[in-house]
Amino acid sequence: MFRRVLIANRGEIAQRIIRACRELGIETVAVYSTADADAVYLRQADETICIGPAQSSKSYLSIPAIIAAAEIADADAIHPGYGFLSENEHFAEVCRSCKITFIGPEPETIARLGDKVAARELAREAGVPIVPGSDGPVEDEATAMRVAQSIGYPIMIKAAAGGGGRGMRIARNEPSLITGFHAASSEAKAAFGDGTVYLEKFVENPRHIEVQILADKFGTIVHLGERDCSIQRRHQKLVEESPSAALTPELRARICESAVKVARHANYTNAGTVEFLLSRDGSYYFIEVNARIQVEHPVTELVTGVDLVQQQLRIAAGEKLGFEQKDVQFRGHAIECRINAEDPERDFQPSPGRIDLYVPPGGPGVRVDSHCYSGYRIPPNYDSMMGKLLVHRPRRDLAIRTMLRALDEFVIEGPKTTIPLLRSVLSHSDFRAGDHDTGFVERYYGHHPAIPVPGGDAR
Amino acid sequence: MDLKLIQRLIAMMRRGGVAELDVEDPATGLKVRLVREGVAGAAAQAGPVVHYVQGGVPAMATGVTAAPAPAGEAPASKAVPAGTPFPSPMVGTFFRSSGPEAEPFVQVGARVNPQSTVCIIEAMKVMNEIKAEVSGEILAILVENGEPVEFGQPLFLLKT
Repeated sequence: MFRRVLIANRGEIAQRIIRACRELGIETVAVYSTADADAVYLRQADETICIGPAQSSKSYLSIPAIIAAAEIADADAIHPGYGFLSENEHFAEVCRSCKITFIGPEPETIARLGDKVAARELAREAGVPIVPGSDGPVEDEATAMRVAQSIGYPIMIKAAAGGGGRGMRIARNEPSLITGFHAASSEAKAAFGDGTVYLEKFVENPRHIEVQILADKFGTIVHLGERDCSIQRRHQKLVEESPSAALTPELRARICESAVKVARHANYTNAGTVEFLLSRDGSYYFIEVNARIQVEHPVTELVTGVDLVQQQLRIAAGEKLGFEQKDVQFRGHAIECRINAEDPERDFQPSPGRIDLYVPPGGPGVRVDSHCYSGYRIPPNYDSMMGKLLVHRPRRDLAIRTMLRALDEFVIEGPKTTIPLLRSVLSHSDFRAGDHDTGFVERYYGHHPAIPVPGGDAR
Repeated sequence: MDLKLIQRLIAMMRRGGVAELDVEDPATGLKVRLVREGVAGAAAQAGPVVHYVQGGVPAMATGVTAAPAPAGEAPASKAVPAGTPFPSPMVGTFFRSSGPEAEPFVQVGARVNPQSTVCIIEAMKVMNEIKAEVSGEILAILVENGEPVEFGQPLFLLKT
């Protein structure tokens, strides 16, 4: 096992990693920028090193600063957390060349999975369904029609050079395919100087289902079930839960087996997540692999009892997993709500600044992972997540009740937070029925700045 | 005065071989005296006793004024603000010269101009020459050759 681990991150995940290390008897080195100098979690570390100014590019994203800190602190491993350098294959490579263990997959694996086209190809090779498409440019109308016939409507027409929704059209039948094809092509030509388009099946209002994987260096790969992260706002997850209300036991077994196949085919090691889109008809498609620990990992920890961060450290240190698929037991229902310092009434603008009063909820079935406290100043330099509120209960309806109770208990004075929105989502009949998808937030809250609380008074 | 600052001062004392440190915050009137265990008795021959008066909260890198005092001087005497700390621009290992055989870039008493190299900080095997960026005189060198330094840690005291 490692003697000393440097944590190349900040905020709640830095604290989470310090906790895991301390329980395993590993010394910790916390690095920080000047904006985080007064963060209280730094006191739990055995050593702290200021690595740069507030600007991420000169601190948490600076490979030389982090490697220099690891060298002067004599750390034998680096945990990258999530975001920042966690999926940077170059950083993983530099760690290797400096004889410091990078806690994550090998750089080659990170590189392959980070390339969308290569990852899609990998899933196809592994025999896992991918979103059907033209697989390359579509030159003319006739080809477009032929491809559309084979994959079925609705079809998404996408610019090869595209991004941000430009050069994108949805076609539900042949006439709209033909007009959409030309419109997307000329729009892409105008915007990107390249009119090349390709076609992909449009999965309408899917659920976002992801599967947690653990893989050791001896070929043992297990899945720890799924997380349903369908409550999103502009691709930012707000609520995550396990198990998903949308999966039958049979479908769950298939989707989890697909995730293991992808991991095996990628020679994956350490903790990772395989993401899928699940359509209403029960078909699912691979989207990508997140080659890191994820924000929502505690959801899985609650239902399986497995400490994922401790497992990451053990696997990276070369230990065997110590359990097999059949040993993984799922118990109860867990939900996570992300508490962000954002103002839902002002289009979710970040709301940094001083927290005048912070009283987290507690009691049976409640877990809070947060680095915040009364008097803490949320720096404006980083993301707005203040922490994660989790509940674990025997059934989904009970978990929702506990979450609503805990959200009511949570006192945060000072910054505006997502708590009113979360309370409203958890009270919504569609969510309660488990009948929600990735379009939920846009559908019900997209055009209403004020947050309605269904069946309750607006507080 | 926050705990973090005191922690940093302690780390700095340990690294810099400073035996004794008096810190005073004029804003609150709070005085802190830090004495390194095991070195205190040997302070007279071990190292300089430095008295710091914190000029302003919060950043010590910009708010600290200090004067080196002769070893063995009575503690808690009002220190004369005389120097501006020169903070490290990066994390790494501090070197006073370009190599083991070479002369140090600067000694106490040296005059520097903005282009003068004052030290080298090594990070990831890259030797970064650090320029003074101001004109002045080196009053004290706060870090030993080969010591690790963090971002913002005072390396020198300058009279500008």
